[in-house]
Amino acid sequence: MDSRVHLDNISMKFGDFTAVHPLDLDIQSGEFFSFLGPSGCGKTTLLNIVSGFLEPTTGSVNIGNEPMAAVPANKRPTSMIFQNLALFPLMSVAENIEFGLEVRGVSKAERRKVSDRLLELVDLPNSGQYRIDDLSGGQKQRVAIARALAVEPKVLLLDEPLSALDLKLRQHMRTELKEIQRRTEITFIYITHDQGEALTMSDRVAVMSAGRLQQVDSPIELYRKPKTAFVAEFVGENNRLPGKVVSIDGEQVVVDCGAAGQFRGQMGTRLEPGQPCGLYVRPESLQAATAEDVNRLDVSVETVNFEGAHLTLETRHAQLPTQIHVQADQRAYGGQVEQGSTLSLGFQADETVVLPEDRPLETADD
Amino acid sequence: MIKQLTARFGRPMTLVVLLLLWFWLIVLVLLPQLIMIDYSFKPNLIPSQLGGPEDVYTLGNYQTLIGNDIHRTIFFKTIWSSILVTVLTLLVSYPVAYFLAQLATAKQVMLIALLLVIPYWINEILRTFSWYLILSFQGPLNALLLGLGFIDRPVRFLTGDGGVLIGMVYAYILFMVFPLYNAIESLDNNQVRAARNLGAGLIRIHWRIVIPHAKPGIATGCIMVFMLAAGSYAVPALLGSPGSRWFTQIIYNWFFEGGDWNMGAAYAFVLLILCIGFIAAVMKVFRIGLGDIGK
Repeated sequence: MDSRVHLDNISMKFGDFTAVHPLDLDIQSGEFFSFLGPSGCGKTTLLNIVSGFLEPTTGSVNIGNEPMAAVPANKRPTSMIFQNLALFPLMSVAENIEFGLEVRGVSKAERRKVSDRLLELVDLPNSGQYRIDDLSGGQKQRVAIARALAVEPKVLLLDEPLSALDLKLRQHMRTELKEIQRRTEITFIYITHDQGEALTMSDRVAVMSAGRLQQVDSPIELYRKPKTAFVAEFVGENNRLPGKVVSIDGEQVVVDCGAAGQFRGQMGTRLEPGQPCGLYVRPESLQAATAEDVNRLDVSVETVNFEGAHLTLETRHAQLPTQIHVQADQRAYGGQVEQGSTLSLGFQADETVVLPEDRPLETADD
Repeated sequence: MIKQLTARFGRPMTLVVLLLLWFWLIVLVLLPQLIMIDYSFKPNLIPSQLGGPEDVYTLGNYQTLIGNDIHRTIFFKTIWSSILVTVLTLLVSYPVAYFLAQLATAKQVMLIALLLVIPYWINEILRTFSWYLILSFQGPLNALLLGLGFIDRPVRFLTGDGGVLIGMVYAYILFMVFPLYNAIESLDNNQVRAARNLGAGLIRIHWRIVIPHAKPGIATGCIMVFMLAAGSYAVPALLGSPGSRWFTQIIYNWFFEGGDWNMGAAYAFVLLILCIGFIAAVMKVFRIGLGDIGK
């Protein structure tokens, strides 16, 4: 089944407000693809364009090489799982799942077979007769998945479907969603502002901000090689050391951070000598300095948070404007650091990314 | 409840409120009805015969209704026409209510609600009279239809039931639109989108999602419109023809033309029973309780 999704020059304007700036995107057949970004970044708008609920201002959507421009929302090979699930409260579980088939004129016996099979798939066997209100949050979630799968969509669209669940269930459902995706081989397009969800489940993630694609990459590439300051700051925790490019040496950049010293890092995107930039280093990349370290930073500890496997240290360097967060193995530091201790930290140039100054991070309001 | 009231308003004020409530319920609601029922089982006597040997309880008044072919026919015709008015009002109001509740912007809701309410600032008789003018043989509606070429000679709208039906649908549309609006407004728009996403077309979305959700509102609207229609006097009196008399007109005639209050009371009581029966039937058909209607 070809369930490739191709967005060609898609953009969306609401009056004077541009929700999505023109973008192109190819989502592979059977891929678990996520749109990650703060609320208001345009990700839900994109989902509504793919599902046909919104007509894009420019551009076209192709699913499985077929143009969708003339196909109304109720005829598209997509199926959506809504943020609030939008199950039909006046119908039973089975009727909910069978609704899409009822629309297509499938016989009652045939429909029952499908709903039984799907209830099996989502681990809710023999619960077709229940009322929606009798189900727990996690069970409703599964019914919503089964209902969306019943119509055998090429593409499943998921609009923050886990946001209503409690933490434990959310983590469990992540594994489950991934497993269902693997078994059904349907293309999943997942919308979330929760990076944990995007990183754990997705094959690729598109990070969005203010209606623009920031970076489209695998989760590990996003984490290790962010291409914009927004991605570096939005995905995972990062320490940002502001500075200026001194020189460029192949893929490596030497950055001058004023009184804090000079550091070497990987070039994230094109940079010019003299350009203001940010040097990004992850909390777990900061280790006790050794003789070989090119990058060294002496800090004093302000707070120690013991979190079991590791410690989170909030430290400060006298010449830097923000705190430096360090995530350390409890075996390395356990019981040895306290408020006021001084630490000599070292970090690898290839675990450090240098990126040009960006507009300040748009704050998410949820 | 009395404890809460006492705590909030003090004992004397609570007493006043409760007394007023009971006065309203007993003297203004229950007692008149009971007197009417009492009247309906007594013959119409001149004052000197009151308390005499003929002043006994009898079913005579009701037997008159059952025995009178014309009155009986008008009674059933009133029921049937009121049902027709109810169904027509529902058909006209549903799209308006759905638009207001799910599609319209806040500004549009304000504007349309205002347009719907403005006619009600005018007395019902005057509103009905304006329809009398619009529908009359040489009135503006006929002129318009003739001008547009839809008809080649004027239509007698006011002969038969047509005028009465139009007038009533117009008069009671608000009593249907607002309960429907309330019910449909509480429907999560994602339900509609989900149904559409699963492939449902317009009709199925309404039949399977919106209408089941709006059921209590539909029942409330239908009950209100039916009762208003069955009990209406002004509209059939003004827009009706001799062939489309309403049962209320006969009741009126017994009271004010015939001077027979006892007969009128019996006829009115039968109409009351009919309306209660209709409410019970609608509640049964829609499988809803009294609590749902109150919402």
